[in-house]
Amino acid sequence: MYMSIKEIVDTANERQVPIYTLAIEQEMEVMRSTFDETWSKMEKNLKTMENAVNKSTEGDGVFSLTGLTGGEAVKIKKYRANGKTLSGDIMMNGVQNAIGTNEVNAAMGVICATPTAGASGTTPGVLFTIKETLQLSREEQIHFLFTSSLFGMIVANNACIAGALGGCQAEVGSASAMAAAAAVEAAGGTPEQSAHAFSTALQNLLGLVCDPVAGLVEVPCVKRNAVGTANALVAADLALAGVENLINADEAVEAMYKVGRQMPRELRETGLGGVADTPTGIAIRNKVLGKEE
Amino acid sequence: MSVVTMREKKNVSYKSCFDVIGPVMIGPSSSHTAGALAMGLIANKLFKKLPKKVVVKYYESFAETHKGHGTDLAIISGILGFEADDSRVLEAIKIAESKGIDITFLEKSGDSPAGHPNTADIYLEDDSRYIRTMGISVGGGLIKVKHIEIDGFTLQLEGSLPIMIAISGSDNLELELHRIFKKHDVDINNSTSLEKDGKYLYQFDLDSQLSSDARKELEKLSETANVIIL
Repeated sequence: MYMSIKEIVDTANERQVPIYTLAIEQEMEVMRSTFDETWSKMEKNLKTMENAVNKSTEGDGVFSLTGLTGGEAVKIKKYRANGKTLSGDIMMNGVQNAIGTNEVNAAMGVICATPTAGASGTTPGVLFTIKETLQLSREEQIHFLFTSSLFGMIVANNACIAGALGGCQAEVGSASAMAAAAAVEAAGGTPEQSAHAFSTALQNLLGLVCDPVAGLVEVPCVKRNAVGTANALVAADLALAGVENLINADEAVEAMYKVGRQMPRELRETGLGGVADTPTGIAIRNKVLGKEE
Repeated sequence: MSVVTMREKKNVSYKSCFDVIGPVMIGPSSSHTAGALAMGLIANKLFKKLPKKVVVKYYESFAETHKGHGTDLAIISGILGFEADDSRVLEAIKIAESKGIDITFLEKSGDSPAGHPNTADIYLEDDSRYIRTMGISVGGGLIKVKHIEIDGFTLQLEGSLPIMIAISGSDNLELELHRIFKKHDVDINNSTSLEKDGKYLYQFDLDSQLSSDARKELEKLSETANVIIL
């Protein structure tokens, strides 16, 4: 198994194969599965992401049981239709899909965790907007998911992807870095550029705390996926422009892990710190938990 | 009770790319919903039928946030044998109660006995037996099983899945298990054998998923042994 991003980049270069090939090979070997089984599983994941995004803009949108989140993807879609946004339609398309996916998640709809449910909007946010920019075929979209998975496994096995262990940097931070690396490959960048994009994306979200209001995967989680997507697109563009990082991707993973260990428990998915610990956050907590008791 | 064999090897928790792009699941949390459901499924596989009584103890982050994450629904879904993307997850507690299952959730204060913020301790019983399992949800829906009590045996585990357990009244089973592992090229990371009151328990931490042929052959042993593949 690949245990570092350096190994992935070196192998892709030596063998002159794309990173998604390495991901598929490893999966078939370790899980003793066939190519068809592996491919169709990823195809199902892609289909799940498409369904969630589509569901998010049906009618007035989807709403969580608490009513704390929902309906924003529909608002963004309408706003985009006016043709005038500050960050551009490619960015806002990504943001809409990221927020939409997490709205479906908060409403207990079906999503694909990437790498977690709380961060499930970041990857589709990036994928479905560059799909249009780069005219990606279905096959290429599946390649994107395999590439991002190989980077994700490095984070998961060397650091962590749970907010309860590492904060939101481990969830949306990891998701953003994985998507940035895959976006670079989809755009024709080199394996080194994928690693630079990964490192930039992760470094930019280092220290991000996990502070869900009332312990729910709603506030601020849904909007953090908008930033996860935007950050990935920026990091990928930087790498494709040739901007490099002094701190390499494996070091960034290690740094993320250490920062997670240094975070107090209140900032690791307990709902006790950060925005959860503001007067409004506390009032929502009391109201939501009061309702249920 | 005596430990007969023990062999250690470095464990990689996330073995499949679908551990990080996946699972497909009902929201809202991979660790607190999908992971909790996976823990319930472990209890289901250990007990092998519907219990009459369920007691779930939550620790740390699970204790603080289980209500908002649908953790209760998820654990009960697993105990009922539902998969993570089954639409019945949302109705799981109602379904369980309609089957006469008595359910209790307890929020424990203090540190997790498993040393992890996402810990659940699940106890199932009916008139004739009980099982207990404590799991930790390590992120992205992946779990580790740290503790199992079954058929009079207690196991402390490293916890990475897949794990295979076989319990029998005869120690001939061990040879048969090793024959099957060898035939199907199954790598064992760690193994434990226990003996108690003329009963034998064999537990194996497997390096990777069993092929369907190996699984079939192992399941055939269930005529004479309690075979559990987690």
